[in-house]
Order: sequence, then structure tokens, then C-alpha cells
Amino acid sequence: MSNPLALIGRIATYLLLTVAAFVSVFPFLWMVIGATNLSADIIRGKVTPGGALLQNISVFFSSVDMPRILFNSFLIAGLGTALTLLVSSLAGYGFEMFRSKVREKIFAGLLLMLSIPFAALMIPLFIMMANFKMINTYQAILLPTVASIFIIFYFRQATKAFPHELRDAARIDGLKEWQIFLYVYMPVMRSTYAAATIIVFMANWNNYLWPLIVLQTNEMKTLTLVVAGLTSAYTPDFGVIMVGAIFATLPTLIIFFLLQRRFVEGMLGAVK
Amino acid sequence: MSGLKLRNVKKSFGAVDVIKGVDLDIEDKQFVVFVGPSGCGKSTLLRMIAGLEQISSGDLFIGDKRMNDIDPAHRGIAMVFQSYALYPHMTVRENMGFALKFAGRPKDEIARRVDEAARILELGKLLDRKPGQLSGGQRQRVAIGRAIVRHPDVFLFDEPLSNLDAELRVHMRIEIARLHKELNTTIIYVTHDQVEAMTLADKIVVLRDGIIEQAGSPLELYDDPNNLFVAGFIGSPKMNLLTGTVEAGGIRLADFPNDLIPSPIAIPAGTAVTVGIRPEHFDPTGTAALDTSVEIIEHLGGETYAYARGTGSNLLTIATDNNRTLKTGDRYQARFNPASLLVFGRDGKRLR
Repeated sequence: MSNPLALIGRIATYLLLTVAAFVSVFPFLWMVIGATNLSADIIRGKVTPGGALLQNISVFFSSVDMPRILFNSFLIAGLGTALTLLVSSLAGYGFEMFRSKVREKIFAGLLLMLSIPFAALMIPLFIMMANFKMINTYQAILLPTVASIFIIFYFRQATKAFPHELRDAARIDGLKEWQIFLYVYMPVMRSTYAAATIIVFMANWNNYLWPLIVLQTNEMKTLTLVVAGLTSAYTPDFGVIMVGAIFATLPTLIIFFLLQRRFVEGMLGAVK
Repeated sequence: MSGLKLRNVKKSFGAVDVIKGVDLDIEDKQFVVFVGPSGCGKSTLLRMIAGLEQISSGDLFIGDKRMNDIDPAHRGIAMVFQSYALYPHMTVRENMGFALKFAGRPKDEIARRVDEAARILELGKLLDRKPGQLSGGQRQRVAIGRAIVRHPDVFLFDEPLSNLDAELRVHMRIEIARLHKELNTTIIYVTHDQVEAMTLADKIVVLRDGIIEQAGSPLELYDDPNNLFVAGFIGSPKMNLLTGTVEAGGIRLADFPNDLIPSPIAIPAGTAVTVGIRPEHFDPTGTAALDTSVEIIEHLGGETYAYARGTGSNLLTIATDNNRTLKTGDRYQARFNPASLLVFGRDGKRLR
């Protein structure tokens, strides 16, 4: 390294990256270490591993109906993701593939809706669900998330790179529109689907506010709600909460690492 | 029988007329090339034949059957696209057999037809690769293979060679010509490259702004263009086009006020005309001449082209019968036979 300025620049870069890495990794580290400590130690600020892991786990499992809660969470996140991807990618495909005079106006209207915060939709949505007698059902969680405007937008953008000639070729090969979607579009866009899966699954899995409002009995609750519920006890047991947090984080981590390569491809553009 | 008939075929996108009434007969087994500048509607016309674009009005017959409202898959056509449009997630074999699989053909028949096409196109070793692992030329062959497998009555090619480099383009051009002989079917081929059109076609259809300017065999179009556009478009290097006025005893060209050249046909004096002469029709033994000064010389080895001007700014392209001693700045008597001149009226129509 002959140029001192370049050296300083490199050092600064690494310092900045180190800080950023620390900031992003520390909460995970703290969560894992916390799960091995007693609540009192955590409050005292102990950052070294302790020996209370098994105790924390057993307390967690005795206070939470884990199979039922996991079933709820996976059902809502899994089914929600599948439905969202299907509906939103169909919409994105339609918006990009078909010419229409009103297409851009409708799309602009959709995008405009992104600017409405969920807090403003919450109460009308709740009243609507109440009228449909859907409070405390899976449908109440799934339906409002299925048509995700952001994911429609994401699919439309990605579809711009999907060659129209592929659709033409498929039409000449005798495929109907839905077959083109199923046998050509979906496989070609798999990176886009992978990236969207991570985004949507994480959003559904971590969804808190809306489930908190519409899910009212314990056997309907999701893991996120249950872990959050642990903190509201009179004397929260932080070790147990950390165990819950680990369980709540694991699925998204696993999905991310499984789809990581495709996620990056999908973010860069699916069709090469 | 798989000739095609187009009867007053039109296409509009909203208020914009893209194809403004095309009448055309294509005979069975003919190699027809649609040629024209970009935006002339040639690809749209091809897509209308394929069924990828709706026909706004008029009739399309393939064989004796009116095809306006028939699905692309049932028109007996196969198409090769400029971008190849191979399915990237399938192997070459799957790409080629995809249409047959969808038509519900038995597996052994699909395998047989894919192998047959692979043999014709020498794709045998590539059958298990994905399109991403192939070169441009190989992809193009696979795209052609995908079309062959379907045993279509009519092949449609949409600028199939545009994405290839010059050398490969010449090679594939010969391949396609060979293929036409071997398959013995009707081919409709779209290109903006008039050399491709001249070398491949039995019949060239020159399009401009959604209408047919002229249709005929390559040499008919070359020798006997109906208008200025076709004259300028067909032939390489381009035909020289010079404006002038008819006088008693000949035509006075604006760029050569000192030379009165004999007119090949009788035209009333005072008529404003454009005179066309092909570079290769200059002939040192000709009876008429234009006095030029040479600006640029191009030695191609077999031929020497001089770019020369008269008093105006237009450069004439002159094939000099391989005159290797000619230099920039020389005076050059560009001689020709008056019979080789083509004369066009101011409206662009050929005067005969």
C-alpha cells in the first residue's frame, strides 16, 4: 500500500464496516447469551454465557403451548406467503404484459395506497372483519395481506425484464395464458419469487399489530404475539423471553440462508 | 398446399395505422422476404400472420383456410424470433420438444422428431445443455430446431440473424438457404438487411410505412424498381440518385451542369426528374460521361470504388472496373451507357 491516503481510506472503510457489523450482529449475540442466563443476570448486564439455558427452555415450554403456537405461525406465514406470491405475481404479470389505456392510472392508484399507514386502516379493517364474522380466524390475518401492493410493484418491475418474445413463443407452442404463467413465467422468474418469499415470509412471520388486534384467544396466537406477551408479565423473565426470541427468529434465518443466493439474484433482476 | 393469401390486411394500434392495406400472394414452398426500414411494419405483418397480433381488418388465408381468428398454435406455422426466445429453464431437448409435449404427442414420437431436427442442425451434442450455456449461433440453431420439430406448413423468421456477428451471419444465411432446400416448405423472413433479402429470397416484398412498395424476385427489384424508394433500398452499394431537369436533347443534372446526358426514354422538356444509376453500371466503355473529381478511393481488391463529385455536394459511388491507379483528387470521366439509367418523376414514381 504505497499511497497513505488510500490506506487511511481503507482503514476508515473497515472501521465503518466493523461498527455496522457489530450493530447488526450484537442483538443476536445478546439474544443467544441471554438465553443462557437468569433474568437477574441479564438485568445486571452480564454479557458472558451462563448455565441457565435448560432451565429457561423448560420454563418457556411449560408456559407456552408450543406445538399449537408453531402451527398457527407456520400456517399463517406459510399460507400467507404462498397466497401473496400467487396473487401479487399474477397482478404484476398482468400489469406488465397487457396493454390498456387505464393500466397506468390503476397502477398509480395502487401505489398511492402505499402511502396510507396501517394505523389508519386498522379500525375500518377491524370493523369489516367483525361484520364478516371473521374476528379470531386465520382468514382475518391472511386476507388483508394477500394483495400486497409492494410485492405487486416488485413483481411488475421484475417482469419488465421478462422477454415478451418468450410469451409469444409459448403462444405459438400452443400454451394458454395460465399455462404460460405456470410453465414459463414462474420458472423463469424463480429468483424473483425467492426474494419475494423471504420478504413476505418475514413480514408475515413477524406481523404483530394486526394479529394482536384480530386474534383474541390463546390457541389462535402466533409465536410473535406469545413472545411479546411474555414481556407483559408483572416480573418478566428475560432469559425465557430470549429463548422465545430465538425460536421466533430461527425460521426466518433458515429461509434466508436457504434462499440467499436466489435472493441476491432476484434483487439484481431475475432474467439474464 | 400451404400458400398464403393476404387480402387488404390492415392493422391499427388505436388511431395509428401501422399496416395500411396489404394484398399479397405467397406460393407454396416460396421463400419470401419482407424487407424495409425499421418501423415500416414488416415485423407487425409477420406477427399478424403468426396470430400474435390481431388483424384489424382484411383476410388472411393459409392454404385455403381463413386464419384471422385461429390460435397461433393451430395455424400450421412456427416462428423463429430475433432474441431466439428459448425457454431458459429448459434444456435444448426440452425446448425443442415443448410444443409437441403440449400437443399431447407420444414420448417416442417427440424424441424421434427432436433427434431428427438435431441431426439436420447438428445439435446432437448440445441437447442436454441449457440455452445459457450456448453461443449466439448455437441458440439460433436451437430456435430453428424448435420450429422444425413442429413440421409447420409455414416458417416465420423475425430478423433471426440481427443478433449475430457479421461472420456468423453469413454462415447462418447459407444454413437457412440450405434448410429451405432440405425442408421444402414456405418461409416468410423479415429483415432490414437488403443483402439478406437479395441472397435468400425467391420473392422480396419491400415495405414502407405499412404499405407494399413493390414485390417481386430479387433481380426484378434490382433491375426494374417501381419507385425511388425501392431503387435506393435494393442494391449494395446504393444506387446513385441525382436530381435534374429534362431539356431538349437530354437531361441536365443539377450537380453536373456542363454535361447534358441522353435520356433513355422520351420525356417532355421541363420535367423535373431524379436519375438513378447503380455504381456497378458505370462502364469505361460507355457512350455517355459525367466529369467528376475523386474524393475517396476504396480498394476492395476485386473492385475499386471511387467516391466522386461534380459541382454539387453529392458524392457519386462509382465502380471503376478495378482501376487501381486512380488517386484522390484525380479528374475522372465516369462513363456509362444511357440505357442503364433509371428515371423517376418528382413524386418518386418510375418513368418508363
